[in-house]
This record gives sequence, structure tokens and C-alpha cells, in this order.
Amino acid sequence: MTEIKNAHFTTLKGAYDTETMEATLRVRRYDPETKKSRFDDFTVTIPVTASVLDALDAIKDTHDGSLSYRKSCRMAVCGSCGMRVDGGAALACKTPMKKFVDAGHRITVSPMGNLPVIKDLVVDMAPFWQKIRAVKPYLDTKDVEVPEKEWRVAQEASDQIHKESLCILCGCCVSECNSMESDPEFLGPAALAKAYRFVGDARDQDTRERLRDLNGAHGIWDCTRCYFCNQRCPKHVDPRDAIAKLGAESFKEGFTRDEGAKHAKVFVDSTYKGGYLRETELVPKTIGPINAIKDIPFALQLARAGKVPNPLSPHKAKDNDEVKRLWKLLEKEAKGQPRRATAKHPDAVQGD
Amino acid sequence: MQERYAYYPGCLASLSQKELDSSTRAIAKKLQIELVDMPSVTCCGAGDIHEAKPDYYLHISARILGQAEQMGCDTILTICNVCTLNLRQANKALQEDAAVLNRVNDNLREVGAATYQGGVDIRHLLWEVSAGEGYDRFKSIAVKSLEGLKVAPFYGCQILRPAKILGFEDSDRPQSLERLITACGAEPIDYPAKVKCCGFPIVLAREDVALGELVQPLQQATDAGADVIVTPCPLCHLSLDAWQRKAAAFSGHDYQIPILHLAQLLGAAAGIEESELKFKRHVTRLSPEIKAKLKVPSVVGTGTGA
Repeated sequence: MTEIKNAHFTTLKGAYDTETMEATLRVRRYDPETKKSRFDDFTVTIPVTASVLDALDAIKDTHDGSLSYRKSCRMAVCGSCGMRVDGGAALACKTPMKKFVDAGHRITVSPMGNLPVIKDLVVDMAPFWQKIRAVKPYLDTKDVEVPEKEWRVAQEASDQIHKESLCILCGCCVSECNSMESDPEFLGPAALAKAYRFVGDARDQDTRERLRDLNGAHGIWDCTRCYFCNQRCPKHVDPRDAIAKLGAESFKEGFTRDEGAKHAKVFVDSTYKGGYLRETELVPKTIGPINAIKDIPFALQLARAGKVPNPLSPHKAKDNDEVKRLWKLLEKEAKGQPRRATAKHPDAVQGD
Repeated sequence: MQERYAYYPGCLASLSQKELDSSTRAIAKKLQIELVDMPSVTCCGAGDIHEAKPDYYLHISARILGQAEQMGCDTILTICNVCTLNLRQANKALQEDAAVLNRVNDNLREVGAATYQGGVDIRHLLWEVSAGEGYDRFKSIAVKSLEGLKVAPFYGCQILRPAKILGFEDSDRPQSLERLITACGAEPIDYPAKVKCCGFPIVLAREDVALGELVQPLQQATDAGADVIVTPCPLCHLSLDAWQRKAAAFSGHDYQIPILHLAQLLGAAAGIEESELKFKRHVTRLSPEIKAKLKVPSVVGTGTGA
């Protein structure tokens, strides 16, 4: 029986009466005083039901009390214990140890990426909160009178933002965002999922202003679609999907001036005109004719390799008239609907 | 592996990356699989149409899937990560919700297009030849050992993530490319950025952000001593190949690493000729030493591509 030294194990006392296993973890350490980092290996005896967080508690209790990490709820709700397990961000409390022990695998635990490390596994969340605050994470009802009691929302309207409402602000998506590695000012997946949670809220009256702000530098069009955020999110928020929805809402509201939106429009227009992408139109229509001219030396490199299709005879798919008719039909259908897919119509919002 | 596929090369392999299309057709012939052309299809939208006009994206995807059904094919073969994800994403949405599928089909019927019954699967070439019978078949045609060639696999994002839509292998620790590189007799090189982004989707709209991403695989593969990088995605290829000089200028390092399409690497091991693999259509050219290691028959031309 493992001796219980302090409070860290309290919740596990019962578990220790059952089966235990031995696990080895490699933990990234960082000492802010010496500014040096290293890896430490620890072997601990833990219950077979233990999570990575339980294993860290065991290390802290029996090996090294100076090991630093955040934790609170132990049940994947508070979002405190985000860290990298074998290089991928996860909630330590939601990651069972048994599969690693069974596989004979020693895991490596390290702090989340894209955020400065304070000590060991603790990162500075200040830049994360700064971006959440930047998207105005609260309802703006403008001059609409707010009901005195509850403000009921139709189920259908609530469903529109259900996934985004599940975010626990743990930062796992931000940890792996490839665009944030390259542009640290990018608002990033967590803040943009939060932004959609309000853009899509039937009660919010600030949609246009929100979308205008999100269409600038470091906004939605910075997303490189690496899908790490969807893959890492422990609550299935799918931030990349939220970013795509913000793109669609931007198009509906006529925010199409960002280079990212112009790029998207060439794809839409190409299918309408001929079927496949009109590659030669992509550059001038995205970055503008002047910037395209500046890029001529680059275009010549591509032309020398035969990579510039003849712009005078673009690809034409067979039966593309079907696509033209389809586009017109859908545009007509969209005009007959309320302007926003988020259903900001009277039925969606009911005062009590 | 199927005997017959509806073949969806996508825009890039049909236009600027034609060498991928010709290499794929050549390797399919060796593998004795039939590729049925789809002359009426559009672009998959590349994620851009999904983002700008999601309803239109769903409809044009259903039209593509419906055409495969009309041709009597239950599987579409893709050779591009982005086509694979976009078609699979739409397929999932259509298959999971009968009301959505019915509405889309009503609209397709109204414009005279083929409707979709929901019975098509979308498979990337990588998945078909890296496991099961397809792998065995490839092993049997890989007659030329590319011994001594060090190949850095670059997966690209949209063949790995989101795993709930792609799900062929562990998205953090994929092994399919390594398996094929080994089957070719070459040596797979490991480096962390092999599962990261090439930056291509934003290389025009946000060039600096994209180049910051692109530098990682180029730098790491070079540092690890790779002769070439191989990728299953023509967008990653274009980024790694055509933007390589810009990435070099951006990072202040010199990169000279040729990028191969997956079908070209497989084709070299299967003894397919240069006239079909068309390495000369790359911006970053193969050095004589690497050409020798690839053992491709016939003289490599010096003219422009096509």
C-alpha cells in the first residue's frame, strides 16, 4: 500500500485499495530563476484508474513537491490542466494512464505551446485571455429591451451555437494552432469559437460590428485550416468549424474585402463559370493586380516549370450549366430567408 | 482496394500539377486498377467554398458524389488531401441527415443534375496502397529498389485531421508514408513537422504567416539529411516546391530540396518512365545525384514542362 503523504491523494484513497500499476513519466521542467529547462523521469505507483493528472499528483506527493502544474475540478470542466502529453495538448485529468502503461510506453508531459512558460507545466494564460476579451465575449443587445426575467431562445436558435458554448477555455486548441506559431497576434481558435458563440446568438445585436472586426488583420482569414484545434479540443467544440461559420456569416453580411474572402470568392466564381478552379485568376483577384505584377518573377519560375495554365482557354467541365442553375436557385432561396442563418427573427427570441 | 474507381484528380492535378495526374494514371495501370474519368465535375471548393457558401458547397459535393453513382462506382479515388477532406465532410453531412440529403436532391433534380443516394466512399490513393491488398499489389510492382534515397514524408493536414472524418491512421503518429517509402527500398526520415501545415491555404492572402509555417518542414527535413520530401497532396507540393525559394528568402536559409508527389515516388519504384512521371515540371529541380538514386529510365529533359 502506497503511503499517502498529503492532500494530493485524498481523492484517490479509495482507489488505492484496489489494483495499482507502476508508471514512468518524463516531465519537462522549467526553472524561472535559472531560466533553464530539463526533463525529469519519475516512476510512481498509481491506481489502474489513474489519469495523467493523478500521476502528476503522485509525483508531487512522493518524489518532488516543487513540481508545478495547474489543476482544479478533476473532471474536464474547469479547463485548468491543459498540457501536452506526448506533444499533443490534452486535459491531464481526462487522459487515462492505463493505455500507456499497458503499451509499455513512457509518456512525455510538457507545457502547452504558443503560450509563455512560467514554471514547469504552468503557462502564462494572459495572452489567451487578452484575445478572448478582444472578441467581446458577452452579449450586446444594443437598444433592444432586455426582459426582466429570463430571455428565452428557441431550441433551433440555441442549437446554432451549442458546440461553441461547450468551450471550457482550457487553451488546448491554441497550444497546437499552426497559424499562431507563425503569427502570435492571430486571434486564434479559442477566441474565434467564442466570437461565433456571440455572432450566432439570436439575442445579440452587434453582429455586423463583430464581423467587421474579425475580417481584419489577424482575424478569421489567418486560419490555415490545419485542423489541429478540432483534433485537440477535449470538449468537441471544433473551433475550425466555428471559423468557417464566421466566414459564411461574413459573406452574408457583405464583408468580402479581405484577401482571404477574395480568395474564397475566386473558387466560388470558378465553379460557376467553368467547373475547376481558374488558377490564373487566383493571384490577381486575391492580392490585386499591382501586387500580382510585383510577383511576376515568381510567376515566371512557375511558368518555366509549365505550372501556369493558359488563361485564354480555361478548363470547362461538361454540363456546367447545371451548376449555374444550381447557384441561381440557391441564391434565390437564400434571398427568401432571414438574412442570417442564425435565425435572428422574432420567433427565435422570446421575452418572458 | 477496388478494381474500379471514379477518378477525381481535382483542379491542381488537372491544371498546374499535371505531372501528378500522369504519374497516377501510370501507377494505376501498373496496379491494374481502372480509373473512370468524371468529365462533368467541379472543384471540391478547397475549403474556400465551404467557408464562403456552405450550402452551395454541399450541393456541388452531392453532385460530384451523385455522378460517381451514375457511373456505377461506389468509391471515388482522390489524389489530393483537400479534395479528400472536402468530399468526405460533405458526404458525412449528407449521409447523416436524411432531411438534408432530400432537400439537396430536390434541388439537384430541379436543375437537371444527377441526384445522390448516399452510397459513395472517398478514398485517397495513399490509403489504398499503404495497407491491405493494395499494399501487397504495390509491393509486387515495386521492382526497383530506391536504396540510398533518404525520403522525408510530409503528410499535410487534411489527410490526417480531423480524424473523425478522415480516420485512416493515428493522426499524431501516422506511418502510411513511411511504410510505402520502405516498400520502395528507400529510407524514411523522421522529423516533427511531418504532420504540420504547409501554409498553402493562406499563402496568397497571408503570405508571411504561410511562409512561417512552410519553413518548418523545409528546415527540419533538410537538417535531418533528407534527399527529397514526398507528399500525398498537390497543394502541399506546390507550397513546398514553388514557394521554396520564397521560404528560403524569408528564413535566411538556403533550401534545395526536391519535392515528389506520392505517385511519382511509387512510379519510380515501379520503373515508370520520366515521360510519365514528369519531374521536369517541378520548380525545384532534381540534382543528377538524386536522379540517379530514383533510377528513372530515359533521359530527363531540359525544356519546359507540359
